[in-house]
Amino acid sequence: MSAKNMHIDRYERNWMIFSAIMLVLFATAVSVAAFGMGIQVPAPEQRVDPNTVATDPNSPWSNPGLREVSPGVYDAYILAHAIPNWEFLPKEITVPVGSRVSFYVTSSDVQHGFNIQNTNANFMVLPGQVSKLTITFKNPGTYNYICTEYCGVGHGVMYGAVVVTP
Amino acid sequence: MKQYQLSTGEKKFIGSHLLVAILALAVGSLFGPLQAFEHAGWDFYPYLKPFIKSYYQGLTVHGVLNALVWTTFFIMGFLTFNVTFALKRPLKNPTLNKVGFWLMVVGVVAAAIPILANEATVLFTFYPPLKANWAFYVGLTLVVVGSWVEGWGLFMTFAAWRKENPNVRSPFVAFASVLTALLWQICTLGVAVEILTMLLPWSLGLIEGVDPQLARTYFWFTGHPLVYFWLLPAYISWYAMLPKQAGNGKMFSDSLARLSFWIFLVLSTPLGFHHQYVDPGVPPVWKFIHSMLTFGVFFPSMMTAFTVVASLEHAGRKQGGKGALAWIGKLNWSDPSVAAQLLAGILFFFGGIGGLTNASYNVNLVLHNTAFIPGHFHLTVATAVTLSFMGISYWLLPYLTGRKLWNPKWAVAQAWTWFIGMIIFSNAMHIVGLQGAPRRVPLGLAPYVPAEWNSRLFQVGVGGAILFISGALYLTVMLKTALNKEKVTEEVEVPMAEAMQDPALTPDWLDRWAPWIYGSLALIVLVYGPVLFDMIKNIALTSPGFRVW
Amino acid sequence: MAKKDKDDDDEFRPTGTIAVLTIFVITLIAIWATIYWILVGRGGTL
Repeated sequence: MSAKNMHIDRYERNWMIFSAIMLVLFATAVSVAAFGMGIQVPAPEQRVDPNTVATDPNSPWSNPGLREVSPGVYDAYILAHAIPNWEFLPKEITVPVGSRVSFYVTSSDVQHGFNIQNTNANFMVLPGQVSKLTITFKNPGTYNYICTEYCGVGHGVMYGAVVVTP
Repeated sequence: MKQYQLSTGEKKFIGSHLLVAILALAVGSLFGPLQAFEHAGWDFYPYLKPFIKSYYQGLTVHGVLNALVWTTFFIMGFLTFNVTFALKRPLKNPTLNKVGFWLMVVGVVAAAIPILANEATVLFTFYPPLKANWAFYVGLTLVVVGSWVEGWGLFMTFAAWRKENPNVRSPFVAFASVLTALLWQICTLGVAVEILTMLLPWSLGLIEGVDPQLARTYFWFTGHPLVYFWLLPAYISWYAMLPKQAGNGKMFSDSLARLSFWIFLVLSTPLGFHHQYVDPGVPPVWKFIHSMLTFGVFFPSMMTAFTVVASLEHAGRKQGGKGALAWIGKLNWSDPSVAAQLLAGILFFFGGIGGLTNASYNVNLVLHNTAFIPGHFHLTVATAVTLSFMGISYWLLPYLTGRKLWNPKWAVAQAWTWFIGMIIFSNAMHIVGLQGAPRRVPLGLAPYVPAEWNSRLFQVGVGGAILFISGALYLTVMLKTALNKEKVTEEVEVPMAEAMQDPALTPDWLDRWAPWIYGSLALIVLVYGPVLFDMIKNIALTSPGFRVW
Repeated sequence: MAKKDKDDDDEFRPTGTIAVLTIFVITLIAIWATIYWILVGRGGTL
């Protein structure tokens, strides 16, 4: 054999075909979850000015908290800040079980993260941007929301909670 | 046949890279176990207060020195060795390479000063608007520019060789090393633009604010291919050196090895959004496109898995290995270089699994910024890469210095303790991450830690302790080797596995650079262009800097 | 070049490689699917 042919071993060829099929199946499963079941990643929601977002009376984050949109459907405006004391505002919200809550979270200083434990609400919080995901609380209990991005020495104490009442 | 001889000056130059790399690892690795101990509730940071102000300053030292300095210096040294040795010619312009090296050294010093002064406690991702002292950004820039200059030196050398040897297949090791340096040049454009257009002028007070979303996008343009910059040198060793060391095996396929490297070049940059799946300012359609390309870049790693394992099996069979798996035992496990790299490869299987899971679009919602992530990258960069580099250094240091490896048994023990410590540490991190534990948190002090995490956090500490011992063993072996009075009788043989099929039969299109380079640049423009254009058009430099540490 | 070697190598079938990679792939699919089911079990985000 002197021609410069790409020599591929039979086993290796089969392995490559198998790998490609497996990756296509994973991609399909991910797409079904995203487009069939509505398990999506955050989309651009709104740009804000981080310097005024917490103080401007027209900004919902100047008065962060829960707003009932219709029975069982809520918007939660949450402000993350490192200054002065590493916390989410409000520190706690309470909703009845079965509630569908849209979280609108932004930061007035550095980057933060927002992870409601044991749910799919897990995203970055950036100054100047609003992060939004909507989830339904199917079971009663206390769900901590924890800051998941380094935001200074107080990062480890920064958390709040969604209390889901029966 | 005598092997090609490097001059003493060349050996010294490569050795200086190793020296800086190992010094960085020595200091950086001191803090890894401290973090792990903190998780288990054994917090030593209060005792370090006079030198290190916080857990996060320690974490910054650990990340910058281990993930950036140790890797970059080792890699540039190893690539320089590979290119000169495999091409059997000296560097075209050694002064250029020296300039690059010294720029990197000056950069490390410039960045180290503010880090040690607690003026740059921004972790190795330095996300703005956390604002470090300007010297930190200058230092990073110099490290990147220095590595570029060294890369240019390698390109010139390769081009000179090509001119002298037209119509000859390039040696795989040199080809792959030049490709790695090229990948690095392309991908570091992101972080260069981030620092030069935003962070540096901002830290100098020339501009008032930055756009954090745009900064993250620039950062991850570099951040993911950075992973391949770390990995590919280990792959070079696994493909072309390890089979020889493990039992005189041959490289199973030269052409597929080259093909997988080309796919890495083309696909490793245009998928950075898989680190930004849960960023608010990136449209999901682009995140999805990047996720599909991420599945694509997993493919050459699957090819690598096959070729490397088959080459090792070839070695094992040559040594009389039988059975489906028993041949593994026939590999040369008593050679510390082999043991380290085989163990690194075994854990890399799990690193790959975790990586694919993280990168699977919405599956990232379960894992993003949980302890699963550091669990994952301690299998990849901190084991597949780092333990392989340690393995390489077990022959490279004796080769460069002419001194015998001090106590190979200790070196074998080092590889095994790293392997065991990392299994315990990383397994616990993955699981506690799945249970919801965030990364980058001193979990020993966090107020929200539920009882169910405690047993795992204890294991994190145990793993860290074993890794501490392993790190100390490595440094001892390196130091004792560098000072060893016992010289090697003949120059250490550089392990180079032949390919099973004569590389001259590898198709020409796998040895041509231009189409692949244009292809990779075009793909980057296609999948990054529209988003970056939009972000830059709507740039909002509204975030002032914060020093919150 | 090295005609003799080539004959030896032509007989080399990487069966052990298939064994190693089979174990790898089963582990990969198991772990990936486990985490995927966690995701699906937690429900939509829109």
